[in-house]
Amino acid sequence: MKSKILLATIAAFLVAFSANSQGLVGKLKQKAAQAAENALDKKTGTKTGTNDGNQTPDNTGNNGGTNAQTNNPSNRTGGGLISTPPDVKQNLSDAETAYKAGSYGEARYAVQQAMLGVELEIGQKVLKSLPESVNGLKKQEQNDQVTSTGYGWAGLTIQREYINDEEKLFRTTIANNAAWMSSVNMYLANSGYAQQTNGQQNWKQIKVKGYRAVIEFNEGSGYKLSVPLGQSSLIVWDAVNFATEQEVMAAADAFDIDGIKKMLGEQ
Amino acid sequence: MRIFNEEHLMKKIVLSIVILICGTALVAQDFSGSLTNARSSYASGNLDDARVAMQQMMTELDIAIGKEILKMLPAKFDAYAVNEKNDNVMANTGLAGAMVHRDYGTQGKLLTIDIMSNSPMIGSLNAILSMPFVGNSGDGSQKTVKVQGYKGILQKNTDSETNLTSFTLQIPLNNTLLTLSVPDSNEADVLKMANAIPVTQIAKMVQ
Repeated sequence: MKSKILLATIAAFLVAFSANSQGLVGKLKQKAAQAAENALDKKTGTKTGTNDGNQTPDNTGNNGGTNAQTNNPSNRTGGGLISTPPDVKQNLSDAETAYKAGSYGEARYAVQQAMLGVELEIGQKVLKSLPESVNGLKKQEQNDQVTSTGYGWAGLTIQREYINDEEKLFRTTIANNAAWMSSVNMYLANSGYAQQTNGQQNWKQIKVKGYRAVIEFNEGSGYKLSVPLGQSSLIVWDAVNFATEQEVMAAADAFDIDGIKKMLGEQ
Repeated sequence: MRIFNEEHLMKKIVLSIVILICGTALVAQDFSGSLTNARSSYASGNLDDARVAMQQMMTELDIAIGKEILKMLPAKFDAYAVNEKNDNVMANTGLAGAMVHRDYGTQGKLLTIDIMSNSPMIGSLNAILSMPFVGNSGDGSQKTVKVQGYKGILQKNTDSETNLTSFTLQIPLNNTLLTLSVPDSNEADVLKMANAIPVTQIAKMVQ
């Protein structure tokens, strides 16, 4: 019994000593780090670390004497992402395999990717068909955009800009399966909708190459011409710094609306 | 009399199996047909037709997924027997996605399960679930619960006239919403019923 008590006492003593010695080692490390930091500060003449004289208990906390960095590094490199449209044929094969295996979720994903690939191809085809220049404004090929969600209400969006040095901009946006189609169609279906006969006319109905359209004017953003195509497509032209409505109409006439409509599968 | 009942039951089972097999075969045939159309249209450069065929494939897949989910659901919940004639799968490629409906019990005491993919309510439900102080109301009419590891929102409605309590349990599974509605019940029973639904398998199927 006595020997057990003795052993327990020795064990408790050793543990306490070990903990104490760890604390001592930690303090020694901390002092050494502070001394090194002070020496560096003296050499460079700047205060990069904590100020010894005004050190707060928080700064000398149990961080092992390291100088904790709070600022995250900002990224200065990286080549971005490579634009890789999905391989339609491969995704269709994947869909078939997944479907046969009963993995319907996987099959669905593969079909969605295939649709995304097809929509991006449709977008590129439409972009190729657009004019090289419009009323002296050159196309900005680097700003060409084709956006697709693969399916759904957001649909396919194609965008091209024409610009000249005088900050004149003619932006073409073609949307397929567009959710905002309904608002334009609402204007067109109701010929009396908010059209004014006096005062400042900010929007009106017109025709572009035989298609019913709506033209709007806003002092801040310029002219906007919207032409619905078929059941679910729409062309919107934003004309910035155009002098007159006629100039906007002349620019819109440069586009093959029938061709675009056909490519989008509209009747 | 008993023999007649058993024969009648057997006939019903055989008929159900035949309908199920025919339905699956029909979906499979449609899927393969749409796949062939998509491939040939794409190969001939007819991109819009290819896209339409793929949309059709998506719809068929949504229906197939819905049918698989119906097969996973329990045949009955205690006293509530399934109303197979009310089973419904609706594919709506795009905005709302697929919807699966099944109900149990009789009129007046109808328990329903609705599963909706791409549900527009998912965002708000996830927001509620991520804030426990919002998810649990002081009057006990709403609380967050866990069913097979999935968080859900349980809502209690008490009829002011009959004093009966009905429950609605909503469980978001990625972008799919599973809703269980149980009339005239109590929380313990509702959670017991919810635990009988193979939530993990459904989540895997709709992902």
